Amino acid sequence: MVSTIWSSVDGVYSLTVTILAKARSLVVVLPIFMAVAGTPVQAERIVAKKVTVTVSAAASLANSYGEIGKQFEKANPTIKVRFNFASSSSLVSQIQSGAPSDVIAAADLTSFDKLLATGNVVKSPQVFARNSMQLVVKPGNPLRISSIADLSKASVVSLCAKTVPCGGYAATVLSRYGVVIPESKITRGVDATATLNAVSTGDADAAIVYTTDASSAKKSVFVIAIPASKNVNASYGIAVIRGSKNSKQAEAFVQFVVSPAGQKVLKTFGFLAP
Amino acid sequence: MNSVSSRTPRFVRLGALLGVAFLALPIIGLLRRVAWSTLWAQLTDVATRDALRISLYASVCATVLALVLGLPLAWCLARMQFAGRRFVRALVLLPMVLPPVVGGVALLGAYGKTNGLLGGVLDSVFGIQLTYSLWGVIIAETFVALPFLVLALEGGLRSIDTKYEESAAVMGATDFTRFIRVTLPLLKPSLVAGLMLAWARALGEFGATITFAGNIQGRTQTAPLAVYTMLESNPEGAYALSFLLVAVSVGVLVGLRDRWIGGGSQ
Repeated sequence: MVSTIWSSVDGVYSLTVTILAKARSLVVVLPIFMAVAGTPVQAERIVAKKVTVTVSAAASLANSYGEIGKQFEKANPTIKVRFNFASSSSLVSQIQSGAPSDVIAAADLTSFDKLLATGNVVKSPQVFARNSMQLVVKPGNPLRISSIADLSKASVVSLCAKTVPCGGYAATVLSRYGVVIPESKITRGVDATATLNAVSTGDADAAIVYTTDASSAKKSVFVIAIPASKNVNASYGIAVIRGSKNSKQAEAFVQFVVSPAGQKVLKTFGFLAP
Repeated sequence: MNSVSSRTPRFVRLGALLGVAFLALPIIGLLRRVAWSTLWAQLTDVATRDALRISLYASVCATVLALVLGLPLAWCLARMQFAGRRFVRALVLLPMVLPPVVGGVALLGAYGKTNGLLGGVLDSVFGIQLTYSLWGVIIAETFVALPFLVLALEGGLRSIDTKYEESAAVMGATDFTRFIRVTLPLLKPSLVAGLMLAWARALGEFGATITFAGNIQGRTQTAPLAVYTMLESNPEGAYALSFLLVAVSVGVLVGLRDRWIGGGSQ
């Protein structure tokens, strides 16, 4: 009996294999897919002289850094920039556990305190931009929410995880309003992007997100401004990671971000000057 | 036995050994990071208990739902000739190859309150909102687990010799009796294997769940979601919960085996 059960498990494997083998389209598609996936590798080989700089950046920088990366590569043809976007707290633990990265750009400065403590960065970060928080709701504002104080009308509020910078900023804003949302109504996004997506594509009623993310999602959410008196001042820092094999190129990227060209891009995406 | 093993080339055996090491090392690595002294305290923490409760409840419900939907589907695929059978088979396989996050987005497109095909009607007519609810977790888990059950049952149904069912029919058994007394006992091994695989897949579900049902502690936060969320804030808790998930999985595999040894050796 035992063997029959385990042989049935085998049966599932073999059936899957059979079905997949019969799916001729897959046989055709797979080489194409592999060819496409393989292209960038080959391209890299041809211009082998290029140095790749890996930049670990906060998820809220995804749009602006994408553009900065393009401009930086154009200005520095021998350097290729590769991005790793995640929440700043994820980036810190990734770097602490040895992820190969040359630059970190985080959405708060405490991330750098942690990295300084573990010796993963040598100097204090350069502050390169500032951001604030806004409240976003469904298009057309069906629940007629006019401020943070109305959040009790929402049945599901999307906030960043507590350890992620945007989660901390949201908590500060809520406490300035004296609003407490029960944990049973909060869905926690793993980073700023996921938190916004819960409202823009999901069914969450409201979210507290970065001003820059709110304005880039204007088509799919309704933005309710949080007045400066109750808002936060989110400072973004950037630093070269200790032990980077391409520290010269990494430093060049940092300098580009703080240069007028980099600042101009950040401004167009709604960031404030440091 | 000996002659077979001596015929297995050395490099194949070495490869197999590497394969075993590849699978075992991460588990050992995980066990090494568990803080045993605080294990109990971590596991009895509210967030951990909530996550375990939701995970167990939702994965069992998803397995039952997958059985209700999967058995008729597997039956028709195994025993009926109909137009579009290949299409249905491809459809069944799709959630297996689809990235779970994409599955979650697809579920939003179907059952989301604001943007879903059916979600709007469900909400306005019946007052049911699947997203951000326990039912949302169950639906997401069923979506990814169903293929495993259908594949196992289809394989099982194909391998059953229909002569037993035919003789039961000749002897005057109704369709229902025939199914309960003849087909089901013959199908049991595949059924158990299928249920086991489907349940395991449901228990481990992450991407579709967080996309479709969100990450609400005490409501939709399952154990895998809790592990991910706690990894930064409370790594000890995350490792404790991971250890428990490993233990539960191993326990189910072993327990299932023992039960069948006991039951099968009459």
